[in-house]
Amino acid sequence: MRAVFTFSLMTLRMLFRRRTLWGILMVILLALAGIASVPSFDVSNQGRFILDFGLFGIEVGALILALGLAANLFPRDRETRTLMPLVAVPLSRWQYLLGRFFGAALVQAAALLVTCLGLMLILLIHKLPIPGDLLPATLLIIVEGWFLLSTVFFFSFFTSPPLNWPLTTMLFIVSQMSVAEFAGLMPSTPGLMRTVRMLLPHADVFHIKDPIAHGFEIEPVYFLIAIFYGLCYSAFMLSLALAVFRGRDLK
Amino acid sequence: MADIHPLQVMGLSKQFPRKRGLGSVCAVSNISFNVGQGEIVGFIGHNGAGKTTTIKCLLGLLNPSQGKISLWGNAPANPKVRKRIGYIPENPDYDDSFSPMEYLTMFASMRGLSGVENDWMKLLKRVGLAGWETTVIRQFSKGMRQRMSLALALQSNPDLLVMDEPTGGLDPIARKEFREIIIEENRRGASVFLSSHILSDVETICNRAVILAGGKLVAEGSLKELLGGDKLYRITVISRRTGEEVEEIMPEADLQSRIDSLRKDNLPIVKVELALKSLEDVFMAATGGDSQ
Repeated sequence: MRAVFTFSLMTLRMLFRRRTLWGILMVILLALAGIASVPSFDVSNQGRFILDFGLFGIEVGALILALGLAANLFPRDRETRTLMPLVAVPLSRWQYLLGRFFGAALVQAAALLVTCLGLMLILLIHKLPIPGDLLPATLLIIVEGWFLLSTVFFFSFFTSPPLNWPLTTMLFIVSQMSVAEFAGLMPSTPGLMRTVRMLLPHADVFHIKDPIAHGFEIEPVYFLIAIFYGLCYSAFMLSLALAVFRGRDLK
Repeated sequence: MADIHPLQVMGLSKQFPRKRGLGSVCAVSNISFNVGQGEIVGFIGHNGAGKTTTIKCLLGLLNPSQGKISLWGNAPANPKVRKRIGYIPENPDYDDSFSPMEYLTMFASMRGLSGVENDWMKLLKRVGLAGWETTVIRQFSKGMRQRMSLALALQSNPDLLVMDEPTGGLDPIARKEFREIIIEENRRGASVFLSSHILSDVETICNRAVILAGGKLVAEGSLKELLGGDKLYRITVISRRTGEEVEEIMPEADLQSRIDSLRKDNLPIVKVELALKSLEDVFMAATGGDSQ
């Protein structure tokens, strides 16, 4: 695991040195600031509005970060031939995959925490209370971000980055839909649609923005189950990614 | 027993599917050779002969379509044998926001080596990158990137060095330095598998050569065998048309009939001498002088 750890740090350093991360982070923070500047009807509504849309903004930020950080990692490594000296000798393919994933996951988590701090700052500027569940809610979005990251890695081993973006975004949208909503897309085959939806990821478990915005309390066990689900699904996607990567010829 | 052949390639074939699934292209077809302990084996062939494909197969970057590759008796994917290999890829490139020192430190950690910064300073000095330790690779020329690649390959004191065109694009001084390092590594005990277009390099440092053409092995043997096989003769005659001396090189078997034919045509033969055969002659004869 030492090789994976070192390669994760190498990936982390590399991503911090690229402009992509800072560009995406700036866009998310500007979007949050934009949400906060939208006038609302009264003070209690404004707090709910900022929290609701702020957390939604962070969630969309997780998707953009996953794509912006990882969609091009493997294709770029292959194109620039930086992959060859790595995978030929010091690293196995699984070590390469995990090293890249953990490095990107850490950077993504750090960036999402910064956006959470940005949201807290906006609430403070507006003299609004910071809900106790804001940080756990961000943690759930981080786990969702890791799931999205693993999906991006999976697609990156057999598609180009321009195709990876719509595929991951599509999965992101589908993963937000309830079984009934998804079955409603093709009413003629509800049974099949329900089965397909059950197999596809359920990212809706990571969304607690509505209860938080409305001031409801969330049981700690819910967080644990949601995190466990997210980590299991990420591991599953990474296993699929590794299976594809192992079978690939690196020309 | 396991250390007798650091590298054994047995009946290796590699086919790539054509675009749109229209059949396949055979890049390498049923080749077999080995690299013995302490040998420097040259791997030569024209562009597209299958050299890089073979090297990528033996490093596990490509999955062979047929055949077997063994590194000290193990599969190339075995992490234990991979640790014993140093690899210089063709046209190496690295993440250009890092410095050589950062790369060496991280590679050392990934390889589980215990070296310290001072060791890597010495290594960088050895490959001619002294003074460039902390400069980002973005500022490096192609030759410097190749030196960097050599440093990474030598870092673990490998038992087998696999080099894919390591001196391509280098100036003559750098090529000489590369050759000297390869010989030093060989004296240390490393076996070397050297793919190169530069036949003079192969002729200077290799014990044996493997020649590929069109994905097939067309000649293999020690340089002594390859260069000393068929004797070549050089005949110098005076051209009837221009009046100048013209040379012809031919194998011993064709010599007498050519002399008879020249005498029949009353062409004056100036001299007949033994021609020293170069690896280039062997290569041209083995591949038919065809660049495809």
